[in-house]
Amino acid sequence: MTPAWLVLRKDLLVLRRSPALLGVLVAYPLVIALLIGLTAAYANAKPRVAFVDKDGIPHRLTVAGNIFDIDRLIDDVGKNVEIVRMSESQAAQQLASGRVSAVVTVPQGFVADLKGLVSSPHLTLATGSGGITPRVRQQMQALVFNLNLRLQKAFIKADLRYVGLLLHGGTGRVLGHDFSIIGLDGTKRLLATMPDSPQKAKIADFVDDARLALALTDNAIRATASPVVLDEVSGQGRTSLLSAQVQAYGLAITISFLGLLLAAGSLASERDENAIGRLVRGLIGLGQLVAAKVGLAVAVALGIGLAILVGFGIAVEAGGVHGGEPWQRLPLVLLGVLFAGAAVGAVGTLVGALARESRTASLVGILVVLPVVFLGLVPKQIVPVAAWISDAFPFVHAVRFFASALYDGSPLGTIGRETAWLLGLAALFGALSRLSVRRLAV
Amino acid sequence: MSDVSLLAARGVARRFGGHVALQPTDLEVRGGEALALVGPNGAGKSTLLAILAGALEPSEGAVERADGVRAGWMPQKPAHYGRLSPRQNLELFARLERAGDPAELLARLELPDDDRPASALSVGNRQRLDLAISLLPDPRVLLLDEPTAALDPRQRRRLWETARGVRDAGGAVVLVTQNLEDLEHVADRVAALLDGRVIFDGPVAAYLASEAAVTLR
Repeated sequence: MTPAWLVLRKDLLVLRRSPALLGVLVAYPLVIALLIGLTAAYANAKPRVAFVDKDGIPHRLTVAGNIFDIDRLIDDVGKNVEIVRMSESQAAQQLASGRVSAVVTVPQGFVADLKGLVSSPHLTLATGSGGITPRVRQQMQALVFNLNLRLQKAFIKADLRYVGLLLHGGTGRVLGHDFSIIGLDGTKRLLATMPDSPQKAKIADFVDDARLALALTDNAIRATASPVVLDEVSGQGRTSLLSAQVQAYGLAITISFLGLLLAAGSLASERDENAIGRLVRGLIGLGQLVAAKVGLAVAVALGIGLAILVGFGIAVEAGGVHGGEPWQRLPLVLLGVLFAGAAVGAVGTLVGALARESRTASLVGILVVLPVVFLGLVPKQIVPVAAWISDAFPFVHAVRFFASALYDGSPLGTIGRETAWLLGLAALFGALSRLSVRRLAV
Repeated sequence: MSDVSLLAARGVARRFGGHVALQPTDLEVRGGEALALVGPNGAGKSTLLAILAGALEPSEGAVERADGVRAGWMPQKPAHYGRLSPRQNLELFARLERAGDPAELLARLELPDDDRPASALSVGNRQRLDLAISLLPDPRVLLLDEPTAALDPRQRRRLWETARGVRDAGGAVVLVTQNLEDLEHVADRVAALLDGRVIFDGPVAAYLASEAAVTLR
């Protein structure tokens, strides 16, 4: 057995004899993953939007003969954003202080414009400059879209009622004036009582053609209003709890915490236990010592990673979820766990060598791993510099590897690229650790 | 005592940042002798011993060890894995040394052979475990740093016997000590250090009668 294997075996034995430590090391990252999950859920929570009504919109509004329940409309929008009614000055102050993400203002004359059907009424949207702004804007656009859709339906219904009057006759009201018409049916009946003549024949032809054409108007108007209709079918996708992204993040967070803290702590503890002096007397090379600690991170990552993957696999099977191959892809994901464990372990050995003392190493390890994990969660589109920094650490590459290995149809391209990253980072941090580990023997 | 040099420090010095722990020092350890390093706290004794053991690199100078000579080192503080049992510690270091019989050493040094972690042992037992580890390679040179500090009289006598055994077999013993009894029972020669410098190097009797001994007392 090589010295590196002997030290690795010793570390695993120490770990086995420290069940409380092992329990904390396994539970802690899972708790962190859960907290991040909750934070992500909070990120999906409703943005708070101020609603300033300068026109005094009534609870119910009649437009084109249709009654709109304004409160219900706002409730519907409230499924996606939290609408809070307030005065204009309050809204301005809360937008400035960031307590609301946006302000929707209903200007004076809005209801009159809406009822007049002559010009389009306007709503005003004022937003802040935070990362949530695009989402609020999207929600407000959706609000206006939904409002327009409902109005459109009301207008079409009103238009079709006029078409019905043209066809069948009856009474109606437009722009405040009542009217009564006989319609095409009445015209046809009237023509039947008149003596035949070439003029009557022409009028009768027109009435027949117009009746046929107007009979088709209903569908034509509806189709013009909604050229494309989106039919929503719910319940086909995987629940967010079992999503590939959650699985990939959970795995990567656990491995990052475990690998980094174990490698850092076990290397620094060689000095705490005074054993480093014995080891460097020719019993083991410094490079082999670093390799043994990286090996510890890999071994533990493989053990815990396998347990997590099997747990997820069983949950996916039990949930009857389609898509993704939890069992067929297991070897590929475990290969990623191995690479990620090595890269994270190499970072850990550098932390351990620089910290020199296991308590400091554990603290520094947590101080390093938390921002690395959170940086990896920041979308590149929002803070590009976070993505660049994140690229210099294994976490984000592990996430991409796992997500691709678990669910991509053709994962080889992504896996090849992320493998190169992980192995490159393992070599870089391993080399830096080898240079720094001499400090432990001092 | 033979004329064969088993271990020699040639101008070794050690600095820790701006602090000079050991000034350039020459010291030779020959077969069949037991050398005691004495001096007040912070004199540089443990630093010199660790350098001789190869556990610490000198800032300058070099250590020469005769071909094939194995050295056993027992540092002042416990230097083993606290979570492992004494047997597990001995088995690990025996494999790393590729030498030694853990079971024989457990019995010879009367170490507890159960599953208790070493950290749960008394200070004296931990010191004996370190002695056992240092004896694993069957060393010709035994380097001991305050080996009797926490031992009871019986265990102290056993340690002296062990040290004399190495010396009498043609090997050498270097021990750091503050204990005059160690000089009496084991040492042939004394090197006294003060402020990182050797201020006396000679036989025990000469040391005890010297100015250096008076100064250091």
